[in-house]
Amino acid sequence: MSATGLQLNKVTIRFGGLTAVSEVSATVRPGELAGLIGPNGAGKTTVFNLITGVYSPTEGAIEFAGRAITGLRPFEITARGIARTFQNIRLFGSLTVFDNVRVAFHLHLRQGPGQSLSRGPTFHHEERELTERTRELLEIFKLDRVRDEPARSLPYGDQRRLEIVRALATQPELLLLDEPAAGMNPAEKVELMKLIQFIQERYKLAILLVEHDMKVVMGICQRIHVLEYGRKIAEGTPAQVRENPAVIAAYLGYDPENGPTK
Amino acid sequence: MTELLQQVINGLSLGAIYALIALGYTMVYGVLRFINFAHSDVFMLGAFTAFYSSRAMGRWGFASGGFLGGLLVLVISMAACAAVGILIERLAYRPLRKRSTLTVLITAIGVSLLLQNGGQMVFGVNPKAFPNIFPSQTFKLGGLVINSNQLVVLGVALALLTALHWIVQRTRIGTAMRAVSFNATAASLVGIDTNRIISFTFGLGSALAGAGGVLYGMNYPSIEPLMGNSPGLKAFIAAVLGGIGSLPGAALGGMVLGFVETGVSGTRWSTYRDAVAFAILIGILLFRPAGLLGRNRIEKV
Amino acid sequence: MPSWLNRSQLVLVAALLAAGLAQFFSNHLDSYVLSVAMGVGINIVLASSLNLINGFTGQFSLGHAGFMAVGAYTSAVLTGKLAAQLNPIFGGHVYLLFPFALVVGGLVAAVAGGLVGAPSLRLKGDYLAIVTLGFGEIIKVIFQNVEYVGGAKGLNAIPDYSNLFWVFGTTAITVYTVWALLNSTYGRGFLAVADDEISAEAMGLNTTRYKMVAFVVGAFFAGIAGGLFAHLNNYINPSGFDFNKSIEIVVMVILGGMGRHTGVILSAILLTVLTELLRQFGDYRMVIYSLLLIVLMILRPQGLMVWPFKNPLWFYLKAYWPFRMLARRPTS
Repeated sequence: MSATGLQLNKVTIRFGGLTAVSEVSATVRPGELAGLIGPNGAGKTTVFNLITGVYSPTEGAIEFAGRAITGLRPFEITARGIARTFQNIRLFGSLTVFDNVRVAFHLHLRQGPGQSLSRGPTFHHEERELTERTRELLEIFKLDRVRDEPARSLPYGDQRRLEIVRALATQPELLLLDEPAAGMNPAEKVELMKLIQFIQERYKLAILLVEHDMKVVMGICQRIHVLEYGRKIAEGTPAQVRENPAVIAAYLGYDPENGPTK
Repeated sequence: MTELLQQVINGLSLGAIYALIALGYTMVYGVLRFINFAHSDVFMLGAFTAFYSSRAMGRWGFASGGFLGGLLVLVISMAACAAVGILIERLAYRPLRKRSTLTVLITAIGVSLLLQNGGQMVFGVNPKAFPNIFPSQTFKLGGLVINSNQLVVLGVALALLTALHWIVQRTRIGTAMRAVSFNATAASLVGIDTNRIISFTFGLGSALAGAGGVLYGMNYPSIEPLMGNSPGLKAFIAAVLGGIGSLPGAALGGMVLGFVETGVSGTRWSTYRDAVAFAILIGILLFRPAGLLGRNRIEKV
Repeated sequence: MPSWLNRSQLVLVAALLAAGLAQFFSNHLDSYVLSVAMGVGINIVLASSLNLINGFTGQFSLGHAGFMAVGAYTSAVLTGKLAAQLNPIFGGHVYLLFPFALVVGGLVAAVAGGLVGAPSLRLKGDYLAIVTLGFGEIIKVIFQNVEYVGGAKGLNAIPDYSNLFWVFGTTAITVYTVWALLNSTYGRGFLAVADDEISAEAMGLNTTRYKMVAFVVGAFFAGIAGGLFAHLNNYINPSGFDFNKSIEIVVMVILGGMGRHTGVILSAILLTVLTELLRQFGDYRMVIYSLLLIVLMILRPQGLMVWPFKNPLWFYLKAYWPFRMLARRPTS
């Protein structure tokens, strides 16, 4: 990734009369672990959907690695190096764990329908290579034992992990994680934090994290962006955000127990 | 000029029938989010119920062909169709409430084929002449030829549309219907028995289709078990054109389709009139999928 | 074993040889048995190619008979009306003219598939089904109105070029193609598209292109099947390729289990043979088909031919209220 990373420039989206995200500007630098927080309905997932091309912004521009990605289709944006997970897990449920990851190498395939039919030596070489790389990924993330299970039969935690592995297989420079800790118990959350940091260090990528759990966000993010009602109200290091009066107000009005007051 | 006026009258009466059927598609889509393929065959059953009930009434010395007798036949057909509609929902669709749209779609196709082919076995394959259930007379106004049946069609359709509007907008159950169609989960949370509402919706839509069948039979003198296919598809197109889920849209779409079809029939392209209808469908789905009066739905990710 | 052939391709070659061999001995066979056997082969081609679209890629199409019609008419015109011009090119050799006609029929059908697919693949589920149904009907109406191919009366006196070799050769190639297409990293993309389009796009898959490939390849083989069908029956007419024909193919795919290779092949065989055996009950056939569809969807949506049979019938019957009463555990 060039020095610019991801840049949102006054991005706005309206659904009918509702402005879900309004003039949000933000930057995620290469290799940075950033967080995106905000009360329910603040527009965090919508921001993800805007970045990944599920929605097109009504106004504003999005740039990645110095090139505009506004209005591209989702697969084109993934090809530029942005991968994501989903808040409500969206694996390929009927495919095996192995195939879920294998399919995600798609962008780097040399084969197409023709090679699938002719099945020449290069095809077999590539298939072997991909099998090896998939196996390796599954091993690192401790999913190799369930590699032949259909993804939908996995326990919840494994499904979350598999979604991350699958996103990694597209070989991104920026990884968007949408509430990866949702539904996890405290011990699992600690594991997850380690995992995220491990990914960032090992694969040298930037991560943008949407998360409700303040402990997770404050614990690992280097920089935090705060949304409320579709607008950005604050940005800074965890310490700065914790002291920010606007943030405290937003969260006290919402859920004092998870609030940033420690 | 007379030619044009004649076409307008023909278009209106055909459009009114399409509108009646289209309403059923749209209402069911509203509450269950699927296309009830079997709807057009309920329409066919409406015509056949009218055929047999008017014959039975004749046998008991209760001559149909009078105005009251005609109304009675109409009411019987509507009631029978409502019952069939509720039964179909109960037996075929309700067990699938939580399944994928594809499963429900295939089932609906199955029900449609069952009614058609079952109909062919029970009623026979050959077309039957539809009796005059209302007193029939032809008026000539200048160059215009108007059959009283066309007036009956317009009158009945208008009355039913008004009644439907009243039910949906003014009654408790109509309000519940709108609530379910807006958000089924939320509706059930506030204590609405969604299953009952869905049954009611099916009944209501099927009754309208039944009435459509009777009116269609009156204007196109012969009926047969596959008669639902073409008007059913046109009505579905009408529902999509108007914006599926929208009641005024279905009525409007039906009218538009009626006019287009009578328009095309008058030209040398008349053999292509079904193709034209499909071209409209494909066009609307590609360029304005929400239809004329519908609202866009955004898929949640 | 030549190094450029791998195991699956060897199987294909063996199947082609077997088809040739069967043809060689075919004059010992009863002509009725022969025609049923060819019917089986053609239906396997139709069902497998539709399975690629409806099953593996999850795009429910109801227009397969339309593509079949395109292939049937194209090839019949080539071997009939245009035979006088084409024969000199092929030196009067039918075994050259016929495959040429079949492939051209398939290609024209593939183009039709592309033309239909390009606009309609933006649609989903119900809408895609009804639009493909519409396209199928439009294709039928067009043939009904083209006098050159006989209009509504249809085309007759089509030469009977279809034989065991061509039919089962095509069957083998179709089955291999669908199998090979799916069994690769690229091919797993079809299944991914069927499972979750949004997520497939997010993983970098061009879902539109995948759907197009499925549609075009599916239409191509439907077209070839149409050609074989025309040269088996010696007669085609537009209403032979109507909605009911499409439904027949859909039933094969559903009964076999959408997205299952072997199941769909088995069900194509089973349904074709059953149809022949139950010919005297011909009137009931569609009634049985429709009942089968409904009951299957409610009780066993994954199809009949799916191994293993994990769930006993009882498991499904419990969903119905009279049985639900029985299934309820007594409360003390």
